[in-house]
Amino acid sequence: MPEIKVTPLGAGQDVGRSCILVSIGGKNIMLDCGMHMGYNDDRRFPDFSYITQNGRLTEFLDCVIISHFHLDHCGALPFMSEMVGYDGPIYMTHPTKAICPILLEDFRKITVDKKGETNFFTSQMIKDCMKKVVPLNLHQTVQVDDELEIKAYYAGHVLGAAMVHIKVGLESVVYTGDYNMTPDRHLGAAWIDKCRPDVLISESTYATTIRDSKRCRERDFLKKVHESIERGGKVLIPVFALGRAQELCILLETFWERMNLKAPIYFSTGLTEKANHYYKLFITWTNQKIRKTFVQRNMFEFKHIKPFDRSYADNPGPMVVFATPGMLHAGQSLQIFKKWAGHEKNMVIMPGYCVQGTIGHKILNGQRKLEMEGRATVRILFQLDVKLQVEYMSFSAHADAKGIMQLIRMAEPRNMLLVHGEAVKMEFLKGKIEQEFNCHMPANGETVTVTTNPSVPVDISLNLLKREMALGGTLPDPKKPRTMHGTLIMKENSLKLVSSEQALKELGLNEHQLRFTCRVPLQDPHSDPDTLHGIYLHLKSVLKGYTIQHLPDGTVMVESIVIKVSSSAEDPNTKVLLLSWSYQVKYFHLLKKG
Amino acid sequence: MEETDFQDVLDDWFIESLNAYKDLHVYQLEHPTQVLEWTSGKTVCVGGHGASKNEILELLLPLKLFADENKGLCAERDFKVVHGGFTEGPVRCLRHVPGSRCVVTNDGLSSDLQVWSVGGDDSDVIRLTGRVEGRKRRTTKSVSGGGSRIAARLSSQVLHGAQSGDVQLTQLTSGQILYTLETTSDDPLSSLQFVSDAVFLAGASNGNVYVADTRTSAAPQLHPAPASPGESALWWTDASPRAAVLRLSSSGQAVVSDLRSPGGAVSRARLDVQSGRGDPEVGVSWAPALDGCIAVSGFGGAVQIYDTSLWATEPRDAEPLFEHRGHAVSSRSGVFVAAHVWHPERPRTLLSAASDGSVHVWDWVDQSAAGC
Repeated sequence: MPEIKVTPLGAGQDVGRSCILVSIGGKNIMLDCGMHMGYNDDRRFPDFSYITQNGRLTEFLDCVIISHFHLDHCGALPFMSEMVGYDGPIYMTHPTKAICPILLEDFRKITVDKKGETNFFTSQMIKDCMKKVVPLNLHQTVQVDDELEIKAYYAGHVLGAAMVHIKVGLESVVYTGDYNMTPDRHLGAAWIDKCRPDVLISESTYATTIRDSKRCRERDFLKKVHESIERGGKVLIPVFALGRAQELCILLETFWERMNLKAPIYFSTGLTEKANHYYKLFITWTNQKIRKTFVQRNMFEFKHIKPFDRSYADNPGPMVVFATPGMLHAGQSLQIFKKWAGHEKNMVIMPGYCVQGTIGHKILNGQRKLEMEGRATVRILFQLDVKLQVEYMSFSAHADAKGIMQLIRMAEPRNMLLVHGEAVKMEFLKGKIEQEFNCHMPANGETVTVTTNPSVPVDISLNLLKREMALGGTLPDPKKPRTMHGTLIMKENSLKLVSSEQALKELGLNEHQLRFTCRVPLQDPHSDPDTLHGIYLHLKSVLKGYTIQHLPDGTVMVESIVIKVSSSAEDPNTKVLLLSWSYQVKYFHLLKKG
Repeated sequence: MEETDFQDVLDDWFIESLNAYKDLHVYQLEHPTQVLEWTSGKTVCVGGHGASKNEILELLLPLKLFADENKGLCAERDFKVVHGGFTEGPVRCLRHVPGSRCVVTNDGLSSDLQVWSVGGDDSDVIRLTGRVEGRKRRTTKSVSGGGSRIAARLSSQVLHGAQSGDVQLTQLTSGQILYTLETTSDDPLSSLQFVSDAVFLAGASNGNVYVADTRTSAAPQLHPAPASPGESALWWTDASPRAAVLRLSSSGQAVVSDLRSPGGAVSRARLDVQSGRGDPEVGVSWAPALDGCIAVSGFGGAVQIYDTSLWATEPRDAEPLFEHRGHAVSSRSGVFVAAHVWHPERPRTLLSAASDGSVHVWDWVDQSAAGC
């Protein structure tokens, strides 16, 4: 039976890094290549020894597909391609291709410069890795080779995130990456057609949650900002240019307008240039509202939000500032943070995850005393007391329990595969999905083998079809399969079903009939004809419902089985029953019975 | 309503909510629930009420709600489905058995109960572990609905019944019937609750309240229905830990009486309960940690909080202290609140569930100078 094999790489129960291997139709595909942000050693990379113990991965993989730019999905890509070794194609959407290297470089800088690590990929490696990338457009089928084709679908979640449909011959797999089913202010909701893949692979991390509404998260944000401004405090919001910055700006602008607030809001210029540039490039990836806004005006043209200047940070009174980078690890946001951290009235709002080693990560873990480097001719360290209010807010869009069911019902897979979950703790969810679809939950490092039942299209000759219809009466019904006789001819890439006679004719062969005979000795004192008659009567009584004839030529016929009686001249009591039947006969049991 | 108008009204409400609520969480269940029952200070059970297969879920409230000093550092705002199970019929009544990991449900079609084990850390499945037969009817009087009310107390003892005449106390582990309420009446019940270890209250839909002690076989004490003008109304009842009994009628008449003095009334009021529904599923409850405050839901899409200490002996129109309109505002078509419940310790935290599947967790701000 044809099979599809899926193995999530990783060890034990750890969640936090995505890297899944799929074997389908003889092709091997790697889905995502994420970094585990919780480890500092080799455990942060996926375990590639599953593919090969040593050496490069190129000959073992047909392609690598990256779903989106979050580090837990692409963080280990340069390590895999340049340090382990892979030269084949890496597929990702255009926005992902543009944004990935920026995040990877940021991440590299933090890890190497801040944390002093040595066994890490270099800037050049990131560049070399990106040269292997083949960009994808939405809903466009791409032929990786003669047999393997892939197609990207819109996933929502972040700019450029995609779900991917993989097809080899008649088997297919869909991998969702991260996605969400409710549109937000700048991204639409995930969508896929009823493609009925053999396997649908999805993360189970949020499968058992019910998400608090977007509006409530926004409300919390507005409430915090408002409270700080009201008491005269300053609010710093470190953002990555393409994360929630746009969305939060729109939110604050609307709020300021409605509440008639006067406190100034600023965004740092680096933020706007990059954001505008990327949104212009990838306008088709945002939702309707943003597209309309863009048509009407510049993305960052607001009434209440103005470009920031360094000197403003020292201005008295309340203000809100959006500044990059997002994890407070360098640059303008860190400079502003240093100035404002010492006052209780101020606030810093972190709208997303921060990598270990950054100031952002430290303060989110409750650290209130930080060691900072001072800028001087001599490098000095000083301690910073963190007195301002620290708020961690999560705006990331993920599908929850309800969303997952929505997506599964959209795609209608034959098998559902949930990775990154503890099977024991997800029995209920499994049971729920299994009411409609097959469901598997492999542990990390465990391979799930799914047998597929692909439908093979075959042409049937008209004669054969007519003959079968004459037998059966009704048109073929997929719900009621029945067996038929015929010959399957495979010529080049086509499959044809014809009647046996026609096949023989095409091959130039004669039809042969096989006939079997069997001799049964019998002791009977009667004459041959009488013995035969006795057998006839006996069979008639025992084999009711079958056609039994006593023919004038001295034979008994049971359906098409011929029975004769003969005896030798020497011993007239020893009879020999001669039974004869052709290969077609299905009544062997009759023989036994009689 | 036009989409933009709808969004505007919703936005307005959210802006108002900045001052009106301390915490606010809005969730959408896959299937609406009519039950909300605490299984611990942080977990609550809900159940579907569709015609065929339904889910019972135990949900963990968001960590952010309970993170007091480090609230800012906690970004976790979601419900977590910690346990789930399937049931064949609708879940019309669900009660947690205190001191255990059991819940008892009734499907509203018969008086029998289903007993479930909610599960521990090792499994996330809620399993059916047993059934309890309701008391068989002595008369052939047919009653619409037939659903039982349930109350539970320690030592796995469950009080249940659909009418005043068939209330019994069953020991879950053995199935033994420990007590039956002996009364000649057959009033359909709208509530059943323990007011102390041994004393319970059975509130009938016609306004009668029966108070009995499970240690004796004496007849129950009857608090007759308050006189209500006009046509017969439906009544709902709740007793507070301070022995105050609240009764509310479908026409909005509210009466507070003392558990110890049947027939008397401490205070009354007229509540503005414009009902758009013929047969409302009303919930009334005393606040466990806010003296004199009650919550009312089920007449429409709002949950109203009243301060009964402002009520007098002569009935007057009462204004709600607070009104949670979140469900009504978030819904495009008519929605009604199917259930609400106060948090057992946090004074102003409530959960409410509506007919459109929404569940809100809210901590309201008392903006009046006096009162609760």
